Amino acid sequence: MADVNITVDGRKLTAPAGTLLIEACKSVGIEVPSFCYYPGLSLQGACRMCLVEIAKMPKLQTACTTVIQEGMAVTTASDTVHQARKAMLEFVLQNHPLDCPVCDAGGECELQDMTFSYGASESKLIDFKNHKDEEQWSPVVFFDRPRCILCYRCVRVCGEGMDVWALGIQNRGALSLIAPNQDDHLECEECGMCIDICPVGALTSGAYRYKTRPWEMNHVSTVCLHCADGCKTTLGVRRQGSGNQIVRGDNRDKSGINGDFLCIKGRYAFDFIEHPDRLKQPLVRKNGTLTPASWEEALELVALRFREARDTDGGASMGVIGSSRTTNEENYLLQKFARLVLRTNNIDHHRTADFPAFVNALSGRAHATASMRDVLSAPAVLLIGNDPTYQHPLLAWQIRTNVRLHGARLYVVNSWPIKLTRQAKEFLQIPEGAEDKAAAFLAGDDSAADALLTSKTTREKLAGFREKLQGEQNLVVIFGSELRGQELAALVRAAARGAKYICLGDHANSRGAADMGLYPDLLPGYLPLSEAARFGEPWKSVPQQPGMDLEAMVAAGKERKLRTLYVVGSNPVARYAIDPFALAETFVVVEDLFLTETADLAEVVLPAACAYEKSGSFTNTCGDLQLLRKAGDCEGVKPDLEIIVRIAELMGFDIQQLAPLDPSGMRADFGESRGVQSGEVDQQAIWNRRQGYEPRVSPFNPFAVLKEIQRVVPGYNVGQLELLSGNDVHTATAGRAPGKTEADRFILPSHENLFTSGTLGRYSDVLNRVIEARLRLPNEKEKEIAAD
Amino acid sequence: MNVFSGLAALAKGMAVTFKEMLSPTIVENYPDGPGPLRGAMFQERYRGVHVLQRDENGLEKCVACFLCAAACPSNCIYIEAADNTAEHRISGAERYAQVYNIDYNRCIFCGYCVEACPTDAITHGHGFEVATLNASSLVYRKEQMLAPRPALQGQNAVFSISGEEQLKAEREHGGVGRWIE
Ligand code: SF4
Ligand code: SF4
Ligand code: SF4
Ligand code: SF4
Ligand code: SF4
Ligand code: FES
Repeated sequence: MADVNITVDGRKLTAPAGTLLIEACKSVGIEVPSFCYYPGLSLQGACRMCLVEIAKMPKLQTACTTVIQEGMAVTTASDTVHQARKAMLEFVLQNHPLDCPVCDAGGECELQDMTFSYGASESKLIDFKNHKDEEQWSPVVFFDRPRCILCYRCVRVCGEGMDVWALGIQNRGALSLIAPNQDDHLECEECGMCIDICPVGALTSGAYRYKTRPWEMNHVSTVCLHCADGCKTTLGVRRQGSGNQIVRGDNRDKSGINGDFLCIKGRYAFDFIEHPDRLKQPLVRKNGTLTPASWEEALELVALRFREARDTDGGASMGVIGSSRTTNEENYLLQKFARLVLRTNNIDHHRTADFPAFVNALSGRAHATASMRDVLSAPAVLLIGNDPTYQHPLLAWQIRTNVRLHGARLYVVNSWPIKLTRQAKEFLQIPEGAEDKAAAFLAGDDSAADALLTSKTTREKLAGFREKLQGEQNLVVIFGSELRGQELAALVRAAARGAKYICLGDHANSRGAADMGLYPDLLPGYLPLSEAARFGEPWKSVPQQPGMDLEAMVAAGKERKLRTLYVVGSNPVARYAIDPFALAETFVVVEDLFLTETADLAEVVLPAACAYEKSGSFTNTCGDLQLLRKAGDCEGVKPDLEIIVRIAELMGFDIQQLAPLDPSGMRADFGESRGVQSGEVDQQAIWNRRQGYEPRVSPFNPFAVLKEIQRVVPGYNVGQLELLSGNDVHTATAGRAPGKTEADRFILPSHENLFTSGTLGRYSDVLNRVIEARLRLPNEKEKEIAAD
Repeated sequence: MNVFSGLAALAKGMAVTFKEMLSPTIVENYPDGPGPLRGAMFQERYRGVHVLQRDENGLEKCVACFLCAAACPSNCIYIEAADNTAEHRISGAERYAQVYNIDYNRCIFCGYCVEACPTDAITHGHGFEVATLNASSLVYRKEQMLAPRPALQGQNAVFSISGEEQLKAEREHGGVGRWIE
């Protein structure tokens, strides 16, 4: 667009035509105060804080709704302007309570800041203020009416941003007030976006209210551990008796792939960490019952039994199950442990998407995977299957925002009119379970059309849909676990012209687990076993035969041929409904946060740290690599990385070959002690001793492992600098998975929805309260979603 | 001549000595003086161990706003906040301090916290006998600093009341706060 020249406070500036005055000022560092203006939302012009003087205009104008015009001369800092802003503040503060000392927003409140900048701190009102009691709208949303300054940001973010439209305005003028959609409570997605966006303390979070104050917390930027989208979150942590405690989750740092967004899980569901059932001590089965034991005892027992099994029956009698919630470093190390220390390829994990087929289909094509950021800017998006609103909330937000702000064209193929069809340009309703046929049809196979016909979908419609898609440049194609093997490959091969793809896994590090080679037949980077030698000298001994997958391991267990099973952060017994007796003769070791169904069968249970309690990296489902930073502490537990290395060490393995001990590892998880200053009592150490916990210091540096991953795993050789600055870096899919034709039948979608998150969700008090509240709702469809 | 002037000087000096010997003592007779303060005397604005005040209803004035902790230059105030509920009401506002510790190893008695407090909840009392052989006992808990219930309001529970007075207060007003372990 043509550029427009304007003058602001005597400074000349140039901006594209159509830019709002407030944005133009911001671009040169002149801040115009605003309450109701929010980038990316519709204009409101409600608060009139942004008044500026424009030459030749008789009155002050609102900068947030004025589009710049050639030759405009603007004054943002004259006495008139200042006076006007002060007067607006006076209006706002007229019935505003003096709650700052107890208000959650205190310290990060935009109204406080404005009052400091423009005065108006003395009220001219002599009447009593009109007080209204605080209202609870949902388990997580509270509303304090007198504090509301009616900026309507919450209404707009809920409606336009979330497409939920749960908040509205009642009455007019001085009586206007924000109201929830159901008389006195909310029925919504409980995302907390309205709380986050509220410039004042009117909307507050049930999980954080009155707990502490913003300046009392340290803010740790890390990655959400729930779904596979990988939102960047900021965890507010406070020092407590037991070390750092996480008290708040939000995204004050908007630089992540998620921008403004966080869903309910990212914002509130960190409370499982403090659940009383959390395992804090190793358990060893003695006389049939799991009894608390010391780390030393437990680890020695594990190492002893592993060594016995390996030395008598060989690696083939041992199995390892990895996790899609542990970090890349831990997954990499786990398969290395299996292959080098146990000398077996019997390693598997809970698969939620056919990543090997995906990578195989993409081989030879550079830049063919879309990042989460691409979804926000792509001109067109094709979504086959899945319901991102509930399973991939960030993805749904990216799609909605792209459609709303950039006019992207969304094509949806689904068996159900999912919520995103509201944004769709074209919606193809297909019979249930026919996603693979739809993919085949879109890839050009006309014979697949028969299986797609429904009352709403005719042959003409199908053909028209395909034609439109073929006309799309730079399409982003998104599909979930419904597409596997050949259909997936056919679809990926068919579309061309700059199309990019996203294959949706379900857990925080599902993609990472697959990339790191938690497969019996694939090495990290989806390399075939025959290429083991490229990983280094010791890898030459890796067996060339593919190992057992999970099903085969269970079968071997039934035949009493599986001597040990090492399960890290996974619950296969519940997920795959495994017959518990199948593992009766197997020495099962489980590393987990809670006593899951699998842990219940184990001989040894080792308490592990969750992803908020360690550093490392996650790869989201699009392939965006991000760093995790340690936020909270939990006494008694150890990160999986450390546990794996310690077992290897006790088994007599040279751990230098397993995990490089980096002398520069000062960023590693050095346990919870922050060290003592002179004259200070090491309260942490005393506390630990008194509670009977062993001191926890981990000398193993995840970053040293990451360096190795970057060196040897194809696609992960990305810029360190970006990564260490806390940014997301897109990995390439440079692997060459051996092409398998049959669909991977071990793929089991996790069926999580907005309010569940596997074991972690079960132990999250907030999520359970929200689910309970929803089950009491009269609305049937909502019930269905809540009950899923 | 020299002898006389010498004697005169001596006499002059001794006169001061004898005068002071005979005039009433103005040194504070602490700790052997009378009264609950055992002879110690204070200016009104003396900054001693803090007192956390109560309002006229006996509720704690502190609303756990953390401003004192933010103002404190030696970073010695530690607070944990909690919600008031209808059944369990501690302070007049929505929030109260569940834990309120001041670490007297570090406190420099600057009075910034008192300046910062929006509710006049924290004030300096006159308690000064803080010395101890055990540094960890210098971390005072809320219970040690809280003003007694209204009848004894404004005084420092720990330092301004003798044992007998305490017993009396306990009999008459149900205690002087829960400062005794
Ligand atoms: S919203 Fe802001 S100004 Fe109003 S009481 Fe809360 S902190 Fe104070
Ligand atoms: S929590 Fe989210 S869905 Fe619910 S009202 Fe607020 S913005 Fe809307
Ligand atoms: S509740 Fe907050 S975001 Fe909503 S209108 Fe009021 S001040 Fe604005
Ligand atoms: S969308 Fe996924 S990654 Fe983002 S906050 Fe929600 S659960 Fe976490
Ligand atoms: S003593 Fe005063 S300043 Fe300190 S937390 Fe309590 S109310 Fe706030
Ligand atoms: S920011 Fe312009 S009117 Fe509110």
